[in-house]
Amino acid sequence: MDAVSYPDTKVTEFINGNIVPLRVHFDNQPLSSNFNVQWTPTLVTLDRNGKEHHRTVGFLSPEELIPSLILGIGKTHFDLNEFKPAVENFDKIISNFSKCDATPEAMYLRGVSRFKTTHDGKNLKEAYELLQSQYPGSEWTKRALPYRLIPA
Amino acid sequence: MANKIKWESEMQVALNRAQSESKPVLLDFFNPG
Repeated sequence: MDAVSYPDTKVTEFINGNIVPLRVHFDNQPLSSNFNVQWTPTLVTLDRNGKEHHRTVGFLSPEELIPSLILGIGKTHFDLNEFKPAVENFDKIISNFSKCDATPEAMYLRGVSRFKTTHDGKNLKEAYELLQSQYPGSEWTKRALPYRLIPA
Repeated sequence: MANKIKWESEMQVALNRAQSESKPVLLDFFNPG
């Protein structure tokens, strides 16, 4: 990460502008035990109270790191029932990083966020249909499979 | 233009910043070796 991703200008600007970066040694106690860290790099997105909402283990290229960080921010809002900013972050991923690993999960969670806001099942069905058309092999498409049965 | 990540090294400092700046925290466990 130090050789490739963190020095990347877009990564640096994104992190400094959108999230508070905290870096600790992998065997830092009590953090390493509290977060059950087994390998590096482990990147964890926390809310303002220190609760975990997203985690990755292993190297991420700059092209994958930025959408993964946006996903973490979106999932933090999602878990806190802040669906408007959650959807805004998921939209950023879907619109700007369509080929990234984080995108199918963002598409799934955007549909769930919209459903939680509207209680309209068409949002879930639409999420499934988009996933099926754009990411047919994704685990998130499989998770959305039951939504295909929701009446239009 | 920022050219380095402004890492914090203490959890409480990071959480205080997160509260005041209304941002999440990115916690990076790293191996310098």
